[in-house]
Amino acid sequence: MAATAEALGVIEWADCWVPTAPLAPDVAAEVRRQVGFVPQWAHRLGPVPWMVRGFTALNHVRVAHMPLRLWPLVALVVSRDNACRYCYGVTRTLLKVLGHDDAFIDALEREVHLGQLAPAEQAALEFARRISRADPRPTAREIAALRDAGFSRPAIAEIAFDAAATVASNRLSTLLALPSERFVGWADHPVLRLVRPLVAPFVRVRRAAPVPLPQPNDGPCAAVVAALDGSPAAHVLRQTIDLAMASPILPRRTKLLVLAVVGRALGCRHAEAEARDALAAEGLDGATIGRILADLGSPALDARDALVVPFARETVRYQTAAIQQRTRALAAALPLPEALEVVGIASLANAVCRLSVLLDAC
Amino acid sequence: MLTAALLVAAAAAGAWAMRARRRATVLERQLVAVTGELEGLQHAFARFAPAQMIEDILAQGVSTRPQVKDVTILFADLKGFTTIAERLDPEQLTALLNGYFAAVGEAIAAHRGHLAKFIGDGLLAFFGGLEPNPWQTNDALHAALAMRAAIAAYNARSRADGLPAVSAGIGVHRGPVVAGVFGTSALMEYGVLGRTVNVASRVEDLTRHHDVDILVSDAVRGSCDPRFRLRAMAPADVKGLAAPLATWALDGFDAPPA
Repeated sequence: MAATAEALGVIEWADCWVPTAPLAPDVAAEVRRQVGFVPQWAHRLGPVPWMVRGFTALNHVRVAHMPLRLWPLVALVVSRDNACRYCYGVTRTLLKVLGHDDAFIDALEREVHLGQLAPAEQAALEFARRISRADPRPTAREIAALRDAGFSRPAIAEIAFDAAATVASNRLSTLLALPSERFVGWADHPVLRLVRPLVAPFVRVRRAAPVPLPQPNDGPCAAVVAALDGSPAAHVLRQTIDLAMASPILPRRTKLLVLAVVGRALGCRHAEAEARDALAAEGLDGATIGRILADLGSPALDARDALVVPFARETVRYQTAAIQQRTRALAAALPLPEALEVVGIASLANAVCRLSVLLDAC
Repeated sequence: MLTAALLVAAAAAGAWAMRARRRATVLERQLVAVTGELEGLQHAFARFAPAQMIEDILAQGVSTRPQVKDVTILFADLKGFTTIAERLDPEQLTALLNGYFAAVGEAIAAHRGHLAKFIGDGLLAFFGGLEPNPWQTNDALHAALAMRAAIAAYNARSRADGLPAVSAGIGVHRGPVVAGVFGTSALMEYGVLGRTVNVASRVEDLTRHHDVDILVSDAVRGSCDPRFRLRAMAPADVKGLAAPLATWALDGFDAPPA
């Protein structure tokens, strides 16, 4: 049975609207160093180098505290829950390369569904789904359940990061309608069994020693980054946020508006408050910011922000076909690098605003 | 002789084991297929009730999580439908009504509304009930304006088919409701209950009194985008409320909808 192809076939997906573009040699070299090769998606993000760097790093982070076995399982469950065909295909293939067969993967999905996993894994995967759905956001009760299941505070933070990073990747892939990577087509091929031992060491999540917080940690979302204290993930998140904010493609104000809107939609008071303060520093008065967030529009917005602000809200909870159509419409109204960056910022904001449960509940 | 018997027994055991294994494989595949269907259903049902509630129902057969939520309710009712119904044969009547429901249903869904039920020629929709939605009131008013446009377009099409034009009264109100799964094991639905629902219905009733198509309550006016053009109506007595009900007619929106 071509199980992966069959599983992907039932997930609705539009055609990708992003053309491939040459990748700057230094960016390509960085991706190759981390991944081992340059995946197709990276070429589509060529006009926005921070997105290539950031999303590569988010997906290849080393972990210090959580069980390594859980990493791809969280990614699979969250990608499945978000109906992300691209990420689900990649993660399913990854699990097969790591030695899990289709029966195990199917059983995993089934058992998550039916609550028949080992209690610790069940609690971790349930927590990951709650982070992803954010309806309602996980509370101290879910965190306590994880602690009771034997997870340390830093391990819980890494599980949350794993879920949030997958949420970001799911949004990036879904909004751009990324086509499946060529290697996903090999998932059902018998030859995969032969080459698996050679490839597995390159795709396995690696263990790293605990590390102190990045210094300085004073950019946007510093509190969320600090909640990952002790994990290499804190460095990756800090670096990705800083690269995103420093990118010259969209104004800083547009990026902060996206963060504020996603924060409002997800009930993340940290992100919203921080974005409000930063927008005030950009020259927007409090009343105007209030109106923009209340109504997703204002005469004070320029033409681009008037498109981007309501779009940001759509990226929080969506039906795949509807959001892919909506993103394509946005892309038709903006230059390609700007449209890509809107998607990148919104994806990152969705991750950060979900990860902030660590501040509320831990 | 003993060796032959042992060989036969071993062969029989082997055959039995192979059959059992084949059967287990078939059952496993069936289980995977059923789980896939279950998950597909769960995704599909998430359009009709909160995801957590659906998981409860799938796991336990019931949902134990009724919640008090702040939602925006939209009631719509066709005006003069009884007269229209008397003039049409059953096929025409069904076509007219279903065409109308399809047109306004799309407008509601396009603005994140949930079409909860049809009540004769009327309907009840709510916004912010299935998932948290800080922009629910604006969504409901954009949906009401989109319904107005959809009805106009529908009338243009149905006139060509020889069907009469329809016009609807739409009432919008916001407030707390009890949201949950109501009904019996034979017939359940996710719905909302409470005073807010009754007031929304009264607001819709007043569209006839004021001779307008869309009316909104005070609570809606207080929480909606100021770019909606609202016109004050005289407070009017309605059944079940001690004080006259203040309402505003919705004339339009001063910028493209979000």
